[in-house]
Amino acid sequence: MKTFANRDAGTLEEAVRLAREALDGGQSVSFAGGGTDLLQLVKDRIANRPGQGVPDILVSLRGLEDLSGIAEEEGEIRVGGLTTVGTLAGDPLVGEALTALAEAARSVATPQIRNAGTVAGNIMQRPWCWYYRNGFPCYKAGGSQCYSITGENGLHAILGGGPSFIVHPSDLATALTAFGAVFEAHGPTGERALAAPDFFVLPSADPERENVLADDEVLAAVRIPRPPTGTRSAFHKVMDRNAWTHAVVSAAVVLKLRDNVCESARIVLGGVAPVPWRAEAAEALLEGERVTTELAGEAGAAAVLGAVPLSGNAYKVPLARTVVERTILGLLAPA
Amino acid sequence: MRRQSAEQMSATATVGHDVPRIDAFERVTGRATYTRDLRLPGMLYARVLRSPHPHARMRSIDVSQAEALEGVRAVITYETHPGIVYGSGSIAGGRQYNDQIKDITVHRRHMFDNPVKFVGQPVAAVAAVDRHTAEEALGLIRIDYEELPFVLDPEEALEDGAPRIWPEGNLALDFENEPRPMTLSRGDIEAGFAAADEIFEDRYTTAFVHDAQMEPRSALAHWEGEKLILHTPTQGISNCRHDNARDLGVADHQVQVICKYMGGGFGDKNGSYYFDLIAAMLAREVDAPVLLELSRKDDWLGTHGRWHTVQHFRVGVRRDGTVTAIRLDALSGMGPYLRRSGGIGGLDAYGCPNVERAVRPVHTNRMVSGNFRAPSDPQGYFALQSMMDDIAYRMGIDPVEFALTNMQRPTDEVRFTNYTLDECIGTGADLFDWSTRRQATPGSDAGPVKRGAGFAFMMFRSGVGPSSAILRVDSAERYTLFVGVTDIGPGAKTTMALIAAEELGVPLSQVDVVWGDTDRCPYSVGESGSRTTTMTGYAVVEAARDLRQQIAEQGLPRGADVRIASATPTPSTEGRRRMCFGAHFVEVEVDVPLGHVEITRYVAVHESGRILNPLPARDQIRGAILQGVGQALHEDLLYDGRNGQPLTAGYYGARHLTHLDIPEIEVTFIETDDGYGPYGAKTVGEAGIIIAPPAVANAVFNATGHRFRDLPITRARIAGALA
Repeated sequence: MKTFANRDAGTLEEAVRLAREALDGGQSVSFAGGGTDLLQLVKDRIANRPGQGVPDILVSLRGLEDLSGIAEEEGEIRVGGLTTVGTLAGDPLVGEALTALAEAARSVATPQIRNAGTVAGNIMQRPWCWYYRNGFPCYKAGGSQCYSITGENGLHAILGGGPSFIVHPSDLATALTAFGAVFEAHGPTGERALAAPDFFVLPSADPERENVLADDEVLAAVRIPRPPTGTRSAFHKVMDRNAWTHAVVSAAVVLKLRDNVCESARIVLGGVAPVPWRAEAAEALLEGERVTTELAGEAGAAAVLGAVPLSGNAYKVPLARTVVERTILGLLAPA
Repeated sequence: MRRQSAEQMSATATVGHDVPRIDAFERVTGRATYTRDLRLPGMLYARVLRSPHPHARMRSIDVSQAEALEGVRAVITYETHPGIVYGSGSIAGGRQYNDQIKDITVHRRHMFDNPVKFVGQPVAAVAAVDRHTAEEALGLIRIDYEELPFVLDPEEALEDGAPRIWPEGNLALDFENEPRPMTLSRGDIEAGFAAADEIFEDRYTTAFVHDAQMEPRSALAHWEGEKLILHTPTQGISNCRHDNARDLGVADHQVQVICKYMGGGFGDKNGSYYFDLIAAMLAREVDAPVLLELSRKDDWLGTHGRWHTVQHFRVGVRRDGTVTAIRLDALSGMGPYLRRSGGIGGLDAYGCPNVERAVRPVHTNRMVSGNFRAPSDPQGYFALQSMMDDIAYRMGIDPVEFALTNMQRPTDEVRFTNYTLDECIGTGADLFDWSTRRQATPGSDAGPVKRGAGFAFMMFRSGVGPSSAILRVDSAERYTLFVGVTDIGPGAKTTMALIAAEELGVPLSQVDVVWGDTDRCPYSVGESGSRTTTMTGYAVVEAARDLRQQIAEQGLPRGADVRIASATPTPSTEGRRRMCFGAHFVEVEVDVPLGHVEITRYVAVHESGRILNPLPARDQIRGAILQGVGQALHEDLLYDGRNGQPLTAGYYGARHLTHLDIPEIEVTFIETDDGYGPYGAKTVGEAGIIIAPPAVANAVFNATGHRFRDLPITRARIAGALA
C-alpha cells in the first residue's frame, strides 16, 4: 500500500477546498466515500485519478451527512452521492417510481459492498478491465495504449471503443442514464448539473477519463425526473455468476406504454461500451408503435447496430440483442 | 438421503448420526485462532517481493534503500540466502515424500532462484516492525532484470526452438532424471484397435484452476535456541515438519509445526511451503518471531492450482458398444517446477482390456501446478467421459447402457473389497428419471432455452494404510485423544472424537481432542488423499480397543495416574482394490443466445462405505460439486500471451461460484461396511468433484447437440458456437 494522508471534510465546500489545496501543492488527491474500490486501488498502487497517479491525500466525505439520502422535490427524485447502494436498492420510492434503478442497485457486487459503497462511488468507480486492474500502464492509468486490442478482450467494448476499449462498470449509471438523470457536481466555482451525454466521456474524446468531473469536483447527487404515469422499467444484467461481478452485458429499458403502444422509450446498454450506451435507433423503432414480439426483436437488432467486436467478444452482440429484446418483452402487459 | 446396500451393517451408537463439528461455535463466532491472528512479543511482519516477469535473470539487486527505511529489520534475497533447497514436493512429483528422489533431481527449486521462471516467484523478503513498513520496503528494492524468452503453452513448449526453461529441455524429468512420460499399458493396443468396428479420435483440453481456499497463506516462525516453532496453515503437520527440517538441515525434532485452525486446504498443503522457509530464515536473522503473510494475489500466483491438460484420445469400439482399445496421449502443464505428478486419471474406471496411456508433464512459465482435490481426476474424467458419451450417442446407445457395458467390474484379476458402481448408477438413474429426462436426440429441444441431461460415473481409491493415535484416560474418566490431524474443512477433529467415543462406548462429551501440534501429537498422514478418516481413524479404533481392554483388566486409573494406549496399525486389503464409487446425473437448461447454463437438477449418488457423520459428509459432496461446476463452466487463469502476465488472479477475476450459484444438489449415500477402515468408512472429501465436470459437460451436449471439448465451457464459447 502507498502511504497517504486522510483529511476529513466537514462541509462540501471544505472538501472541495482541501482537494484544491492539495492539487495546488503538487499532491495527488481523491475523494473517499465508501472506499470499497478506492482502498484496493491504493493498496495495489494503481493510479486511480486520471493524470495523477496514486493519491497522496484522501479527502474523506463520510462526515457530510447532507450528501446522504433520497427525497422527492418538485417532480425530481434526488439521491445524495453518499447514499449507499444498499439504501438505494431498498428504498420504496425508488422501487416504485424507478424500478430499473432499484434492480440495478440490487445487482451490484455483494451485500457487504452495497452496505458500504456509495451511489457516487459506484458511478465514479474506475474500469474493471483486467489490464488496468493488474497495473498495466494503459490509457486509464495515464499511459498511451490499450492492451486489449490485440490481447485478451472477451469482456471489452463492442460499441464506442477506441482508442481505449474498456466498458463502463457502473450498473447505476446505466439505469440512471435511461431515466434521464442529471449529475450534480460541486467544485471550487460552484455547482453544475450535467445530463448523461455531457457527464460521461468516450475515449475518443479523452481516453484517460470516463467522465468530465475535475479532480476538485465532488459528485454530490443525482437527480432523476419522476417518470410520467404509465412508465414501466426494468434492468437486466447478465453475469458470469450471481454475485460480485460486473455486467457482461446489461440493459436498462424505460417505456411509457398505453395498451402496449409505446409512447416513449429509453434503452441504455451496460457492459458493451466505455459509457452507458444509449440505443437511440432501438428507441425510435418502438416509439409510436404497438410493441410486438417481432418489434422487440427488431429493437434488439437495432440496439447493436454498428457494433465492432474485437477478437474475443463477438458473443456480446447476440447477447446484447437478446437482452434488449427480452427486457422490452418483459415490460409488456400480458396479452 | 441414505440407504444401505444389500449387506446389513452393524448398529452404531455415535458414528453414523448427524453431529455438528465440535469446533463449529469457535469458528463461526470468530473465537478460533488462525495463524495470522497470533501475536508474540517482539513479533515482526514480513512480506515477499515477487518476480513481475515470466522468465528473467536478475543482473543485480540493490536493497540499500529498503534496509535504510526506518522500521526495517532484515532484507533477504537470493544473494544473501542462495542455495537453500525448497524441497516440498517440488521435485519428482507424486512421490513428494521420497527424500531420496529429492536428493538426486537436477530440477531443484530453492527458496529464491535466479533466473526466475514465473510471475509471482519470490525474489526477496523483508521483515519490519509493521505490515505497512514491510510493504513500503518492498517498493524500495531495485532489481535489474534481463528478460528472457518465455513459453506459456505446453504444446508450444515442446516445439523446436521453444524457450528452454531448464537446460535439459521442457519435458519434466522423472524420478531417475529422465524425460520419460508416465505410462500405463495393458493388453495389446493394436489388437484392440484391429478388433474394433469403429475408431473415434478427439482432442480435449482442460484449464488451470486455483485451489482458492479462503485463508490466504501465512507462517509465523520463531526459534527457541536451535528449535524452530512454526505456525502455518498446513494440511499435514507431520509432513510439513519433515519437509522443513530437511530443507533447514536440522532433525525433525528440532521443528515444531502447529496448526490449530486453518481456512481450507483443497489439496496442496500436505507439506511445507517456501514461505515457511522464508519466515524461518527471517526469524533466525532478526532473532525474533516473524509473521509472514500472503495477500490474496500473492496466494493466487505464488502457490498452486490444478494442472491444465491437453488430451488426445483414440478409442476403438465394436458395433455392439464394447470398447476394445483406448489410447491416451496427453500433456500436463506444470509450470517451471514439478511440485506434483501431473497425472491424468479415469482410465481405471473402464474394463477395456487394451489400454495405453502416455502423459508428459511439461514445464512452462506459468505459475506452478499442484494438487487440487482429486489431483488427476476431474480433468481426466472430463475428457474420457465426454469422449465416451460422444461415442455412445454417435452409435445410438444410451450413455448409461454404454457405461454399464464398459465400466470396470470385479474380475479374477481385478478384485475389490466390495463393489457398488452398478448400484450407484442404477439408483441415480431411477432418482433422476434418466430415461425420460435425457434427449434421445441431443439438441432436439426447440429452444431458445434448451434442456438436456448428462451423466458420469467414477471410482476413486480409498486405501488403507499406516497412521497413529494415542488415547489417554484419567481417574475422572475423561478421555484425551492425541491425533496429528488438522481440520481443513471435512471435520477431522470431530470425526476422530466420534470414532473414539464409539469404540470406547462413552458419550462424545467425554472425549477431548488434542490436534494440530507435532510436539503433542503422533504422526498422521495429513489431510490429503482423503485418508484421514480411513487411516488415522483406524488407528483411533485400535488405540481405543487397547485402552478399553486395559480398563477392563486393571480398572480406571487412580489419583493423578493415567492409562495410555497408542496404536500404529498397518492394515492391508491383500491385493484387493478398495474404492469409493459414485454417479452424477445433471439436468441443465442452456439459454443459447445468452450462452448461459442453468443447472436445474443435480443428483449425486455415492458409496463411500459407512458415513461416519452424514451432516458434514453431504456438505463435502455439495462443496466439491460446486467446485467441479466452476471448473466446468467458469474458471481459468488467463494469461496474456504477449507478455506472460496473468490477468484473472483472485476470486473476482476467476469468477469462482458463490452461494447464490449453488443448484439444488440431492446427495444420496449408499452405505455398506466392507470390513476395512473404521466401521467400513471410505473416502468422501475428494469423491464429489471428480465427475462434476463431465456430468455437466455431457448435459450441455445433450441440451445443445454441440460437444464442447475445452474447459471451461464459458458463455463466450457457448454463444460463439451456437448463437
